[in-house]
Amino acid sequence: MGTLRRGFSIASMFLVGVAVLELSLAPANAQAPAPSIKIGALLATSGPGAYQGAQQKEGAELAIEQLNKAGVNGRKFQLFHEDSACGPLPATQAAKRLIESAKPDVIIGESCSDGTLAVMPLVQQAEIPLINASASSLKITEPGNAWTFRIFPHAVMQSDSFARNAYDKLGARTAVLLYENTNAGIDTIDTFEKAFIAKGGKVLVKIGFGRDVNDFTSIATRIAGLGLVDIIPTASLEGQGVKLAQALAQAGITKAGGGKAVQLSNIWLPAGFDEKAGKPAVGFIRIVQFNHLENRAPVQEFLKLYKAKYGADKTPSHLQAQGYDQVMLIADAIRRGGTDAKSIRDHLLATKNFEGATGHVVFDGKRQNSSPDTIHYVETTADLGWKTLDWQ
Amino acid sequence: MLDLLPILAQQIINGLVLGSIYVLATLGLTLIFGVLGQINFAHADFMTLGAFAAYFVARASGGNYLIAIVAALLVGALLGLVVNQAVFSLLRGQDETRPLVATIGVSVLLENAALAFLGPVPYTFDSPYSSQVIRAAGMYFTMQSVLVMFIAVLAVGSLYAFLKLTFVGKALRALSQDQEAAGLMGINKKALIALTFVVGSAFAGLAGAMLGPILVLTPFAGATVIVKCFAIVIIGGFGNVEGTIVAGLMIGLIESFTTQMLSPGMSDIVVFGILLLTLAVRPTGLIAERREENV
Repeated sequence: MGTLRRGFSIASMFLVGVAVLELSLAPANAQAPAPSIKIGALLATSGPGAYQGAQQKEGAELAIEQLNKAGVNGRKFQLFHEDSACGPLPATQAAKRLIESAKPDVIIGESCSDGTLAVMPLVQQAEIPLINASASSLKITEPGNAWTFRIFPHAVMQSDSFARNAYDKLGARTAVLLYENTNAGIDTIDTFEKAFIAKGGKVLVKIGFGRDVNDFTSIATRIAGLGLVDIIPTASLEGQGVKLAQALAQAGITKAGGGKAVQLSNIWLPAGFDEKAGKPAVGFIRIVQFNHLENRAPVQEFLKLYKAKYGADKTPSHLQAQGYDQVMLIADAIRRGGTDAKSIRDHLLATKNFEGATGHVVFDGKRQNSSPDTIHYVETTADLGWKTLDWQ
Repeated sequence: MLDLLPILAQQIINGLVLGSIYVLATLGLTLIFGVLGQINFAHADFMTLGAFAAYFVARASGGNYLIAIVAALLVGALLGLVVNQAVFSLLRGQDETRPLVATIGVSVLLENAALAFLGPVPYTFDSPYSSQVIRAAGMYFTMQSVLVMFIAVLAVGSLYAFLKLTFVGKALRALSQDQEAAGLMGINKKALIALTFVVGSAFAGLAGAMLGPILVLTPFAGATVIVKCFAIVIIGGFGNVEGTIVAGLMIGLIESFTTQMLSPGMSDIVVFGILLLTLAVRPTGLIAERREENV
């Protein structure tokens, strides 16, 4: 009996102990988990620039999946996407929807310069940091907007280097400049023109076109009528880029068509452009912001994760890498103490030597990434692969 | 500057090829407007889906572009039949704005359905004839250009033969002149309206197959062409087939020469300037005097 009573006593003490323990732990358990960091994504998933936003979104989703396995400083991440369609009006509407409904802590995008310029006043008014990765217009960072960051090399960073290399390494002396009539297209070609003329080159003609142009035969004929041209720098989105390369080869202007001209492009065309354009792309030289052949650890890590998620037969382009890096950069700011829009902005500005798949990120006073290692030159080979050029 | 003459001759070839594409793209639109007086905003999407049908059939058949063209024509016809029966036939006979608004609804629905299933990334639709380049006397053209012009002539010829030589064609013309009177004469109005939509949409599918290798092929591809098609319909004479041919070729030539002499960016200014001028000076269009004579 005594044993039984003692047993009850021990059991009672154990239960009381458990209850006390429960009570002491209760406040901790009841504490709500830290809210997720809400990332707004203004990415084009319709219209001619849709390939950009769709691929950037893939990269951003991959990064969020990786980060949410453990969280960062107790915070998880949520992506809220709105289709900004690479145009000022749809981008503005998308930004308003995003800001009003999701109330994001930080926004990535827009995919194009015109769209980015249109949403910048809105995000500034809402005091939300905007991280841009694929718009090249100088107007985005030159005025020094306090809330807009860009990890993408702007038009001058790309064009100065390109014009110098075309003049020195290719021996180019004459150029025909082709560009879409957008802020990015005009900035890209104007800055190239200035740099090329400063080196001693001559621009024979500048030809601008709208995004609704499908047939480039007449443009190619006009260029053929100018006589020998050394280089044809081109600023166009992927679809028109493919058609232009094909039309220039058919007209016998570029090397792929038996001519002498070399077509060039800044960071506008994703990996896969070469296969889409086919033989006319052979000899095409362009800048890429992500080279999957690079041996840097972040590149290979990103490549491994991407293939695991989206398929071993798929190769990501700079667009997926940009989306991935944008989110990883935000995570880096959270890791260093960012908690809300303002502190995320401040920690972004203090970013030091963040190394992503697209290169290092070091923001200058205008919040422009000033790291030169985001620029790689590649030439399309006969098998439609890439040859990395040793251009600086 | 090289010799100007071959350049100008080359731009004439370019303009005629581009114009042939415009004629093909506009033919179905003209037929539907000429017979039914209905503007079909979904025509652009029928072209897009025709282009995608051709793309997938060409891939499945090991690159056989000719089979792909036939498939696109059939897909266009089927789309016309289904959309007419499911949507437009229910709204016809009510006020005129409902079918018009319905075509916009069908257009948005088809674009977004295509976006959901096909994705936004541009497809590359290479015709085996695009890479076959013929060069002579300082000029060049691709076999694809020759095929486009041949198909355009064949399509226009077939439509003419159908409208002028067959009983059904004559019945369609009667319908375009007076639907009530045609009905009283024993013509099956509903069946002929459906047939008009099927034939017009089949032309859209065919145009899609020919445009596929030229367009940046996305679910929105047709939208880049359709505004110009509407301009051609108006300039040509509101549903007049001869007018469509003349206006289509004219717009193609104007675009080529604007690119040569001015800038491609000026093309739309010139084309739509002509549209406004036509509306102001000759509101009936280049050819038709009376709508009932159009088809």
